[in-house]
Amino acid sequence: MSRRWDLKWVALTLLVGTLLVVLVLWPIGELIAVAIEQYGLEGADAERARQSAVNTLAVGLLVAVVAGSLGALGALVTERTAVPGKAWLRVGILLPILIPPFVSALSWTRAYGPGGLTDDLLGVSADGLFGLFGVVAVVAVNAVPLSYLLTVAALNSRVESDVERAARISGASPASTLGTITVPLLAPALAGIGALGFVLGINAFGVPAVLGSPVGFRTVTTLIYEDLALSARPEAFRRAILLATGLVVAAVTFVIVAEVLLRSVGTAPRSAAGSGPQLAKVRPRWGVAALAWAFVATTSILPLVALGLVALTRGVGLPPVPENLTFANFAEALDGRLLGALLRSVGLALLAATVGILLGAGVAALRKRRFGGVFGVVVLMTFAVPGSTLAVAMILAHGRLLRDTLLIILAAYVAKLWAVGHRAIAGSAENVAPHLYLAARSSGASSFSAVRTILVPMLRPALAGGWVLIFLIAFHEVTMSSLLYGPGTETLAVAVLNLQQLGDVPVSSALAVILTVPLLLVAIPLLTSSRIPRRFLGTG
Amino acid sequence: MSSAETSTSPARGRIVWVLLCVGAVLASCGDAGSGDSDALVMYTTVTQETVDAVVAAFQEANPDGEIEVFRAPTGEVTARIAAELRNGELGADILWLTDPLSIQQYEADGLLRQWTPEEAESVPAEYRTETFFGTRILNMVIIAGEGEQVSDWSGLPDLGSVAIPDPSFAGSAFGALAYFALDPAYGLDFYRDLRSNGAVQVNSPGDVVSGVAEGIYRAGMTLDFSARAAIADGSPVQLIWPESGGIAIYSPIAIVDSSGSALAEDFVNLVLSAEGQSAIAATGWQPIRSDVSWEHGGPQVTVNWSRAFDRQEELLDDYRSLFES
Repeated sequence: MSRRWDLKWVALTLLVGTLLVVLVLWPIGELIAVAIEQYGLEGADAERARQSAVNTLAVGLLVAVVAGSLGALGALVTERTAVPGKAWLRVGILLPILIPPFVSALSWTRAYGPGGLTDDLLGVSADGLFGLFGVVAVVAVNAVPLSYLLTVAALNSRVESDVERAARISGASPASTLGTITVPLLAPALAGIGALGFVLGINAFGVPAVLGSPVGFRTVTTLIYEDLALSARPEAFRRAILLATGLVVAAVTFVIVAEVLLRSVGTAPRSAAGSGPQLAKVRPRWGVAALAWAFVATTSILPLVALGLVALTRGVGLPPVPENLTFANFAEALDGRLLGALLRSVGLALLAATVGILLGAGVAALRKRRFGGVFGVVVLMTFAVPGSTLAVAMILAHGRLLRDTLLIILAAYVAKLWAVGHRAIAGSAENVAPHLYLAARSSGASSFSAVRTILVPMLRPALAGGWVLIFLIAFHEVTMSSLLYGPGTETLAVAVLNLQQLGDVPVSSALAVILTVPLLLVAIPLLTSSRIPRRFLGTG
Repeated sequence: MSSAETSTSPARGRIVWVLLCVGAVLASCGDAGSGDSDALVMYTTVTQETVDAVVAAFQEANPDGEIEVFRAPTGEVTARIAAELRNGELGADILWLTDPLSIQQYEADGLLRQWTPEEAESVPAEYRTETFFGTRILNMVIIAGEGEQVSDWSGLPDLGSVAIPDPSFAGSAFGALAYFALDPAYGLDFYRDLRSNGAVQVNSPGDVVSGVAEGIYRAGMTLDFSARAAIADGSPVQLIWPESGGIAIYSPIAIVDSSGSALAEDFVNLVLSAEGQSAIAATGWQPIRSDVSWEHGGPQVTVNWSRAFDRQEELLDDYRSLFES
């Protein structure tokens, strides 16, 4: 190996290392330093902080249980039951990925809240929608796709269907096969999924902002937002810093737990026969399918319909009958200033996805080199850090220079989301058989050009999938953007949140529809061709 | 495993560059002018439509003048100002807020410029000081569902399910709190009664309107502007002007003393001129000048702003202990 190629690896290490320090380590370090300096809250301030911490923990635990169970249930339905229309059902279960959680919360209020669709049609509305119940329900529904995907991956890798078949052949009923074979083998994965659900629950911001804050149910994330964005008191700023630090400690702990428990998911050899022990000529389970579709309809489809109807209605409080329908709200939503927000969101998402994938690929490429282990830990930390905390940390570290610029928002997006890109690539890279790469190396290619010409093209589906995922998350991102934006740098999601807070129901609904529906229409055909989810999981 | 295609890296590399460039262009095109240090920077809580109308008039009169606006509710603007003062310097040249209480603190801290605009005389004396000047009048009135009967503030608690806006979020709500708390006929007992009869605090005056329109609340306290807009849209609500008077809150504009912008005084003069005031009236707000025509309205009561300012923190704490237990 000549010296020149060594330099490329060194340069890559330095580049990636510097980016990680600037984006992640420096901000978090500064946050912890300031928090230690400012330790100590008093009186009513401490009481509010304590209450929000209790609420956050409650949300986290309930979301872990609910999302974990629903995701597992969904996986068992599609992978171990003979339901008809499986491909469409998978799309239905994965639908919430395409909907920003706070838009989901908005749509639920329009569908099930007082004055909403069910109120208009049937006279019933969900009184508990605002508060703990509603927050847990919506966050859990939005976490189900992740839980579902991970359970499917676990089912396909850890639960060898040969063992299940052996049990069935020996006379065990489906139920006892489930209870004695499938679930025990799944147990570590389920625990890991639960831990991730907990982290998603404690990091949630948009949903508690819409469903919790109006009735005084505050979580740590919404209290941080109130302290930073809505209050001029110095004590509020101090409290925000302390809360942000507490949140990151909790999140990092549980992600480490999840990582340990989920390590074996997706990497064990797959059984050759694909999905589970479905014997030939099994009766299609229409009842189960109906239940599953009822769940999808209630949690995703009906709320979106309600949101669309409100967006089309002339004035608030009017029923969505034809004489009240108009496109005026959309016209208002697309006026100059909000159009700028839309363009900014698209631009930021494009840049974040591209830079994030490159950075993730860089770290994945370095995983076997000298600092691979260290980078791996940094990946974990970034993945775990809640958006609220990262935004506060960014303000502390880079706020003086970059405050109110698009660059600080972009930096926050990249810092938070490059780990997503890394996971997509590293997961697939594990499954790539090494013989082509080794053949290239033994024919004389340097390690760098072997990676570039052999591995990278083979990883294209993972790269594409990761890019799309980062784009989606960045486009819908509201937690960090709401804390980091300034004059002229409002993103679309922040615009929706602000309009919602002003109480402008029709136009905020129209904007939420604009934020969500175009991507939905593009992504559903992609998801229906079942190649993408399978490739993304590496189940091939 | 897909077959390893012959090297596609040049094509993919080009796509990556194209995407990066497109992304950079899109991200920056919404950002135009923010790097321009000559731009006039205004932090305002005034409604977007009104701001746009006045800014348009300003840009017509000053084609070379660049103006950059940060528009957000009162709580957010004051938080931003506090954050900037913490970091050193206030980034705004002009502050145009919704109620006098939020701006009075900055006057007390010496942040605002003392000067006399050209049209100062047209602003009634009770609506201006040496540093900030009223630009429009907001009236807090009652909004109620179509069948409800209520004629004055004192009748509001009897309705039970009533919505009131949050004083820490909206400046107008803070003004209403100041009026009731300091008036011996009402006092904080007014809020105590509201609360014990089932009143609910919502975020903004807009939320009050939505809540009443959707039938969640029977009535609420909100701005005449918001109520009129909802009625114009067809919402099933009625605007009830209280017999004893709507609570008149004036919306002050001021120049930050450290501002180096030459256009700041021009902008304030425009807002206070007949032209600016007509633009404000055309977007639905009562102008401060009596020589600009205005057909809506009714009896008004005013707030003792200086007394209210002295007791701000106390008022807010007392209110919070009632409504946020």
